[in-house]
Amino acid sequence: MINYNVNYKKIYYYRQWENMNKTNLSIILFLILISINVHAKESVNWYGDIQPISNQDWNLSKAKHLLERAGFGGTPDEVEFIFKLGLSKAVKHLVYYENISVSNMPQFDESNIHDPGLINFPPSRPATTKLAKETGEALGVKVKESGNRKLQPIVNKFFFWLRASRLETKRVAYWWADRMINSPRPLEEKMTLFWHNHFANNEQKVRDYRKLLLQNKTFRTHATGNFRNLLIATAKDPAMLYFLDAGQNVKGSPNENFAREIMELFTLGVDNYEEEDIREAARAFTGWNTNDLEFIVNKNQHDTGSKTILNKTGNFSGEDVIDILLSQDAASKFLVKKIYKEFVNENLNNDIIESYANILKQNNFELKPLLSAMFLSRDFYSDKNRGAHIKSPVELVISTYKKLGLNNTPGVPDFNQSTTAMGQTLFWPPTVAGWAGGKSWITPALLMERGNFARSFLYPDIDFIDKDFYSPDPKIIVMHNAIKEGADITSATKSSNGGDSMMMAESNMMADRDEDFNTRYASYKGWQMAVSRVKPIMRNAVNVNFTSMVLNSGATNSHEAVDYLINRFLIVKIDGKKRDMIISFLSDNLGTNDLLQAETYLEDNLRLVLHLIMSQPEYQLG
Amino acid sequence: MKDIKRRTFLKTTSAATIGALSPINYVSSKESINGKILVVLELSGGNDGLNTIVPYGDDNYYNHRPNIGIKEDKLLKIDDYFGFNPGIVGLESLYKEGNMAIIHGCGYDNPSFSHFTSMAYMHTAAPNSGEEYGWLGRLADQMAPSSYKNFIINVDKTQSLAVKSKNHVPIVFDNPERYQRESFYAQKNILNTIINNNDAEINSSQKFLNEIANSANESSNLISEAWSNYTRRVDYGIAPVDLDKIAALIESDIPTKLYYTAFRDNAFDTHVHQNNLHTRLLTYASDAIRGFMSDLERMGRSNDVVLLVMTEFGRRVPENTSLGTDHGSAGPMFVIGSSVKGGHYGKIPDLLNGLDEGDNLKYTSDFRSVYATLIDRWLQVDSKNILRKNFQTFDIFDRTV
Repeated sequence: MINYNVNYKKIYYYRQWENMNKTNLSIILFLILISINVHAKESVNWYGDIQPISNQDWNLSKAKHLLERAGFGGTPDEVEFIFKLGLSKAVKHLVYYENISVSNMPQFDESNIHDPGLINFPPSRPATTKLAKETGEALGVKVKESGNRKLQPIVNKFFFWLRASRLETKRVAYWWADRMINSPRPLEEKMTLFWHNHFANNEQKVRDYRKLLLQNKTFRTHATGNFRNLLIATAKDPAMLYFLDAGQNVKGSPNENFAREIMELFTLGVDNYEEEDIREAARAFTGWNTNDLEFIVNKNQHDTGSKTILNKTGNFSGEDVIDILLSQDAASKFLVKKIYKEFVNENLNNDIIESYANILKQNNFELKPLLSAMFLSRDFYSDKNRGAHIKSPVELVISTYKKLGLNNTPGVPDFNQSTTAMGQTLFWPPTVAGWAGGKSWITPALLMERGNFARSFLYPDIDFIDKDFYSPDPKIIVMHNAIKEGADITSATKSSNGGDSMMMAESNMMADRDEDFNTRYASYKGWQMAVSRVKPIMRNAVNVNFTSMVLNSGATNSHEAVDYLINRFLIVKIDGKKRDMIISFLSDNLGTNDLLQAETYLEDNLRLVLHLIMSQPEYQLG
Repeated sequence: MKDIKRRTFLKTTSAATIGALSPINYVSSKESINGKILVVLELSGGNDGLNTIVPYGDDNYYNHRPNIGIKEDKLLKIDDYFGFNPGIVGLESLYKEGNMAIIHGCGYDNPSFSHFTSMAYMHTAAPNSGEEYGWLGRLADQMAPSSYKNFIINVDKTQSLAVKSKNHVPIVFDNPERYQRESFYAQKNILNTIINNNDAEINSSQKFLNEIANSANESSNLISEAWSNYTRRVDYGIAPVDLDKIAALIESDIPTKLYYTAFRDNAFDTHVHQNNLHTRLLTYASDAIRGFMSDLERMGRSNDVVLLVMTEFGRRVPENTSLGTDHGSAGPMFVIGSSVKGGHYGKIPDLLNGLDEGDNLKYTSDFRSVYATLIDRWLQVDSKNILRKNFQTFDIFDRTV
């Protein structure tokens, strides 16, 4: 029925187990799961081979590998579902997902914190107060007629929005995480995440969760569609336009920021264009701007003159530039390399890149044929490429939750705090180049954080503090307390600076020097206004019964329990010595090797074991 | 009239602009570690050198920057020609105490205007090449055999290319309080077990992960203890840029010789409305540097440490139409420490004739000369193999070094 090649050394190894004679269906399934680490012999020479694997090559372990890469992995049932579809249907199911309904995926639940006064939010606090002084109003708030701190309400609102948009963006991240866990189209979410990294915009600069949410929807719409359409949609996307200073790019004084990044980071890569091409392309994008959430072209700011870009001359528009870029040989190769690094292996094999680039070009930058070919190829299933992918923090968290069988993102531990601790925050990529990925995800500190993450959902923190709600800034807390006790704003500011005792650095002395308003106080008020208006995140913990999970698998002793957990959660074999230590650890703690004997107190010990397993280097691999 | 000032200025400082080629006595290779520590602070995003150390004595500066040029009366003047950005009071005091060397016009041939490419060139000290390892990584490889643990520390979320080494696994962390595994007592034995898996079957990602896991196990206690034993007694300002963490480690006597940290997130990329923002960023950096130097003095380690402040490129000389500046080329580097002979080094870039066709400064000092100065004259290691050729060095350290 099922065709898999068994490594004989392994059979010998596993023969030592007890209770092998049980003719229990779940044991058979269990054996199949174990075979996940047993590679078919022929896969040795598959590396670099673009030919599809055959139906005879298809097995449960390859299905597991496919679901791990084209999605975020899944429970044993979900892996089995993919396996039973058969090779071509499985790939089709994951890539050509249009007929799978996502109508039950909820829309983002808005807190409704935005108002028309916040449209065209100024780039900085000084710009806001300057505007207020010049026009008598800013952010929809009027300057006070008379009295002290006439601009205070405006500055309060400035800080309110900074804080509120940030909090709401964290809620958008939660909404997206839920969708990554639950979507019946895992590749759609995985590619949305890929594009978020490719067109990496950051809340810190965009400062408007609405724009980031809109951009996220755009990435999802085009996730596995046509790259040209995606590129045009992204070039006209309000978050992107704002992020790369489109408003400053006008006829006669082009801003090169977007033109540079579209060549360097979005389509071609360095060394495939000249500085002059950037300058000329910037002219073609002049006048592209946003009116809040709408794309507009300011015709009188658009440079209609002739431009020369990559040896082509004409009166080019922004769309023309995109077509010129995509007509370069470098474009298909550049994109294929990036997709290959993410979905197959961060170490490239240049021969195969060429073949994939041709597929992309021949299909006019349609992504589905490329992704299908990749997921069918011998290369994808070769020994060198399986289990070689270092998961991003978001992948690690989502795949962990999926493999646990959860259907929502727990509130404790906080999703954003967990991924941030491991080096990735959704909607806050570090630079416009996105996260570097691969080995850069791992440092000694970040590796330890990954183990700590496992512990944090296995043993929920009963001292959990919602850092979104409570200010972590001690200066604001001191101010809060001083105001509560009736201090005037100046004294409160002084005490929040540590009184007169400490020699202050320049930056701390500047905190309260403008008489029209007090920045520290505004920061404090803004915080309060934000937490009263942004909806809270539900703080539920992970509720999984590991005892029944393990016993239902058919495992009867410590060996089987540990191997079941390893196989459920890991793709690669754990270091043999470590595995033996973990098995002994479980038996010692249980006081027996027999799980049924220990059933009533098994739970806590299984959690300890899972923490140990998830702290191993191998758990980082997908 | 101001042009005359510039010429007299250049004349009076010419003695210092020529790198002294006096012989350097390297420490012998067997004991190639002299107790000196090098700390590198990166201002990521491309710091605008012209608005940091402002050549107010040159009319060309104001011609190029009619709107964002900082007015003479706002500057912290250090001489007849240069004034510091008003935000860097901390650096001004270090300069006036004679502990800050400004090396002018640092750059390289065929500059890249890409943050990532130019930063990679600065990190590898190998522009326009495919060099795999960082300059500090190669320096560590030359200075110390692989058995030397914890030689490089990189305080950051992710590892910088600058510290990538063939033989060393740098310690990389950004929060020392979290630099440990949370676990129950009974689990510690397994969690701390060092992995020696040379199995041919394991893939390269797995090998890499094992190495990092071992480094984490070996350094975790050292770092957490150093941080918990440290009390911050001086003001580092609003954003300490992790220099306080480095101070804690130096105080702990961890044997680390090379430290790397960065002002993160491309913060210095000031394309738009730059003046307020740039001044604030410089204030944060300068407060942190001043704090770090005071802290070293407090612990009696001033003479053991120098700090290099660098960035990936300067910004374009003329302002753009958004009251900001675009990616440029050369800019100043700073070397700070009580062993440093403060002052100006390197040829001052000429803002009239010293621009290329893209309005960028032609560099006057190869940035690798500054690296070479630190390697040869501070750490007293031969820089030739590390930097692939002999670079001119600057005589910026006290004779007593």
